[in-house]
Amino acid sequence: MKSYTRNWFNLLAIGVTGAISCTAFVLPANAATNNVNVVGYSIVGPAYKALEAAFQATPAGQGVTFTNSFGASDTETSNVANGQAADIVNLSYEPNVSTLVSDNLVPSNWKSQEKSIAGVNTSLTGKKQQTTYNAPGIVTNSTVVIVVRKGNSLGIRGWKDIIRPGAEIITPNPATSGSAKWNLLAGYSGWLTQKHTPVQAQNYLKSLLSHTIAQPTSGSSSLATFLTGEGNVLLAYEDDAQAAVAAGDPVQIIVPAQTLLIQNPIALTNTGISNPDATSFYKFLFSGTGQGVFAKLGYRSVLTSVWKQTKGDFASFTAPTKLLTIANLNKNGWSGADPEFFGSTVTFPKNDSSHPNAGIVTYLEQFAGQSIG
Amino acid sequence: MLESLPTWSSLPVNLLANHSVATAEGPSLRWRSPRAVRTVEKSSAAAAKGLVLFYISLIVLIPLAALLTNAFNHGVGSFWNAATSTESLDALRLTVTCSLLAAAFNALAGTATAFVLVRDRFWGKSALNAIIDLPFALPTVVAGVTFYTLYGPHSPFHVNITGSWIGITVAIMFVTLPFSVRAVQPVLESLSGDAEAAASTLGASSFYVFRTITLPAILPALLTGTGLAFARALGEYGSVVFISNNLPYRSEVGSSYIYSLVSSGQVSSAASVALILLTGALLVLVASNVIARRLARRRG
Repeated sequence: MKSYTRNWFNLLAIGVTGAISCTAFVLPANAATNNVNVVGYSIVGPAYKALEAAFQATPAGQGVTFTNSFGASDTETSNVANGQAADIVNLSYEPNVSTLVSDNLVPSNWKSQEKSIAGVNTSLTGKKQQTTYNAPGIVTNSTVVIVVRKGNSLGIRGWKDIIRPGAEIITPNPATSGSAKWNLLAGYSGWLTQKHTPVQAQNYLKSLLSHTIAQPTSGSSSLATFLTGEGNVLLAYEDDAQAAVAAGDPVQIIVPAQTLLIQNPIALTNTGISNPDATSFYKFLFSGTGQGVFAKLGYRSVLTSVWKQTKGDFASFTAPTKLLTIANLNKNGWSGADPEFFGSTVTFPKNDSSHPNAGIVTYLEQFAGQSIG
Repeated sequence: MLESLPTWSSLPVNLLANHSVATAEGPSLRWRSPRAVRTVEKSSAAAAKGLVLFYISLIVLIPLAALLTNAFNHGVGSFWNAATSTESLDALRLTVTCSLLAAAFNALAGTATAFVLVRDRFWGKSALNAIIDLPFALPTVVAGVTFYTLYGPHSPFHVNITGSWIGITVAIMFVTLPFSVRAVQPVLESLSGDAEAAASTLGASSFYVFRTITLPAILPALLTGTGLAFARALGEYGSVVFISNNLPYRSEVGSSYIYSLVSSGQVSSAASVALILLTGALLVLVASNVIARRLARRRG
């Protein structure tokens, strides 16, 4: 009897081990033909559902299938860096693409892909830039807006109102979410443009953080948290806020007079460049049709022609009177602003030990409030 | 993912290992020459051991070794800095406090539940018995969202425990309840009840009976169960991340801090903090096992 048990046990052990080794070999081998792997930040997910369907209706998109992965931008980036398959990456902000460039997964000239592959030039110079704010490698623009509950009982109209007593802010965690970084910098730049000094803007950021009652891991989970009834102020992408309003959620959008332009980068990875379906989908994203789909979903188009046609849809938002870009905050754009505000290393200028010049948000988070534990 | 490895995997692996010991010896039903039997048994036992070791290495030992290497990637100094940064200490303190509370409360509630399930008869008992294990099966994020709707700002009971240590503790209690119940239940089932009955006929109060007869019998199992629950709680992510509100330095738990470190590319720091959590879990597991074994031996 016991010997039977033992035999069964051996069989079981062999079976389990065999099964595991087989799974290990079989799982990665799902390279279907005509498939495009799309990786993006959490909020853009629903847009891709529409974009992919629209692309599949075009001749170039016949029979093309998609594998999608959307989540907090930093998380998606580190997943791709750790080997997740990606042909097209549409991330929240530039440093994510830069990470993939330094990992040799995205070519260093990714910003010129829109010209060399999609054949468009969205980047305008001089006076025109002031109206459309386009930059190469950016597939959609948006702005940071303030979302409140319907009726706006707190009477919030701009940045100064969200640090008043009673304001409870929800904005994602800057350690995992690109959206969180855009939001905080929008408040900071909003304060700067109202004739405040950088030190005053830092103090503003500090009170903004102390009014923050939740920092979910991504932009989408922030909105979800807000919709459960938590807090009374949500900082969000204009497009995400519009989607919430369109879905009938009891919220309303406040566009502050001064805010930050969100620029979401896109790139074909090295594997994407050699995947003809990925390149034609990339082309589609910059086409009038593709940009039209984006515009319909609340994104500001980077194609001047589409922007001109659709900016009426943004009329209810009476475009902010003062729109700053990340380049206005740091002359090196994101590559300078990221360590300055979100770096894990905190440094101070010689004459001021309470207002750091690097790792500003990292430093401020520590003093924003009391621990609950 | 990392945080749930030690507790989850130790269960089935232990069972397998015990089986191999139990079945390695003993007579065979079919007749073979004694020497042949011994050789066959020896070689198959060795093969079984080898396979088990291979299996454990693949899914437990190698990943743990990789974690260790990652943590000390940039030297002991940076390991220590990452593990003892203010944000890390705040997160660890919160995690340990809530886990201890949840494990302690579940030790009481779990024992009570096990008692009801073993000693009482009532309609729907087997259904309740099956439901106890559901927290294992339910995706913890779903549990987190459910708690948020029930005990959040729009709670139908007008209870809002989000963003507080109470909320975190309740979420952890939900996830770890099965450990406590399932540890105590089989021991209670194996108690015949004769000694307890004898004690009460001799006039012992029911509390005295519990304290002197029942409790010593279930204590080793209870300790093991509580240890497992605590270890599991340290690494809990999904159910907690929503309800805690995830504010760094304030309401961020260890697993969530680790997740944010990984997301921002600081894998080595993440491994350092994870290693602290793992060491804590390991110490508690070993301690509870050692004490449980001593208690069991003292009882004979």
